[in-house]
Amino acid sequence: MSDSPLRLPPKPKPSPWTVGLSLGMVVFTVVCARTVGFSFSGLVEDLGRTNPVAQGLVDISWGEMFSERSRRAFLETLQMAVIGTTAGAVVSLPIALWSTEVGNPYLIPRVLLRSFNNVVRAIPDLLWAGLFVLGVGIGALPGVLALFFFSMAVIVKLTADTLDGIDMGPIEAAKASGASHTQMLRTAVVPQILPAYSSYVLYDFELNLRASAVLGLVGAGGIGQRIDFFRGRGDWSKLWGLVLMFFLVVVVVEWLSVKIRRRLV
Amino acid sequence: MSSISTGAPVQLPSKPRDTFKLVVTTAFVVLFGWSAISVDLKWSRLLDAPADMYRLFKAMYSDIPWEELDRLAGLMWDSIAMAWVGTIMAAIFAVPLSFLAAENLVGRPIAWVTRQVFNVLRAVPEVILALLFVPMFGLTPMAGVLAIAVGSIGSLGKLFYEIIENIDSGPIEATDAVGAGRLQRLRWGVIPQVAPELTSFLLYRFEINIRASSVLGIVGAGGIGGVLADTVRFKEYGVAGLALIVVIVGTIIVDTISGAIRRRIVAGRTIDIGEAQMYAVDTGGLS
Repeated sequence: MSDSPLRLPPKPKPSPWTVGLSLGMVVFTVVCARTVGFSFSGLVEDLGRTNPVAQGLVDISWGEMFSERSRRAFLETLQMAVIGTTAGAVVSLPIALWSTEVGNPYLIPRVLLRSFNNVVRAIPDLLWAGLFVLGVGIGALPGVLALFFFSMAVIVKLTADTLDGIDMGPIEAAKASGASHTQMLRTAVVPQILPAYSSYVLYDFELNLRASAVLGLVGAGGIGQRIDFFRGRGDWSKLWGLVLMFFLVVVVVEWLSVKIRRRLV
Repeated sequence: MSSISTGAPVQLPSKPRDTFKLVVTTAFVVLFGWSAISVDLKWSRLLDAPADMYRLFKAMYSDIPWEELDRLAGLMWDSIAMAWVGTIMAAIFAVPLSFLAAENLVGRPIAWVTRQVFNVLRAVPEVILALLFVPMFGLTPMAGVLAIAVGSIGSLGKLFYEIIENIDSGPIEATDAVGAGRLQRLRWGVIPQVAPELTSFLLYRFEINIRASSVLGIVGAGGIGGVLADTVRFKEYGVAGLALIVVIVGTIIVDTISGAIRRRIVAGRTIDIGEAQMYAVDTGGLS
């Protein structure tokens, strides 16, 4: 043993990138907090204030879900979600194929389609609903159309991401055996992404069910219209009863859907 | 090449059957048929929809009121700020809660209960939460911030506990072996492992929340959504059209910046959190 003191390796310095990012996030947070007028004391004070809405949450009216009108509105929500998801899923697969290199070797159409997807994805579900209510009037139709576009946004994005990472082996094999482009897609690409794609469709169905509860707030049909009705009347205990029952159903559907998705992938 | 083929017919292996998939597909088709037939909807109206939408498009964009652009951009900035503050608040609550949901830290029963809380929080849309917070905070952005914060706790908490449960024990043992204290162990053994994923998912959640915060104004919770609701009420289609452009452009700009940062954060890591995986994480379910 030598007498020289134990020498520790130098501590790694955080990279300028890490420092910059952390600093940037802190500054951004402060600026944003000022913009929204954030204050802790105000937060505590406002949360503690009693108000009829929170009171309605306490004496909740559980039976509202089973009234005739609410039941019909709930069924409409379910139907809107099913139609919107299915229609969206059907168009999403080809669009996803066309917006990736495997399915569409031409750069310019691909870039155009990707930009279109980005625009579709930037519009939230309620905004789609609002647009279609303006265009085609109130009812279930704008709701279905909104969910259709919203589904397209979700499924195309997820499927295209999966397509970017598929195994190229089967594609080469298909090409080597003389398959046409369509045959290649059918036999080498689609089977690879089908499990993931089905799982995305089910996931999108969960999202749509959740979203279709609020579409009615802008007049696009479903249970949201009942929620809006009670909101207008200030009947908060019935509103919360409806909301809680609905989300109980959503949680059950989600649970089922997750079970199915686990088996698919 | 044709000389290779022999006279014998090619025997293809029989296709594998999957009853489970068949059942699921059939169920979906039946559900779709029932919905399409019994929904209270005149399908003939669908044929008029393109013409209707074209008329709306013309009403929106024939005469764009550019002088409103400053105000609308300001409101979009409000929405972005709401989304960010809400995301940060959610993260502050989600971290301690996620400890209660990690099976390797607390017992199974507590973890199960916490996870169910996450699931319920994840199920409720922000707009519904905003209905609750608007009467408390008035028609201010804070109502929207709270709605987004509560709405994000579920999905952030879920990701956090999954990260905690899957942490690699090697670096922790290494820090122990060189005699690190508790704080040093956390600093060098745990944080470097989880920080990139945490930051990346935080930014991703921020992108999702911008979409939520730009519509929260419809129920009065601040941001650009309020303009959309008002212009529709007063039939100011020009302003509505411009607001729509502002929302789309604002969202895409934030997506691009945030996406670039996320890619830079996860670059070079073996586990790349792709968007698909994150969606999967978000919906991993009631385990």
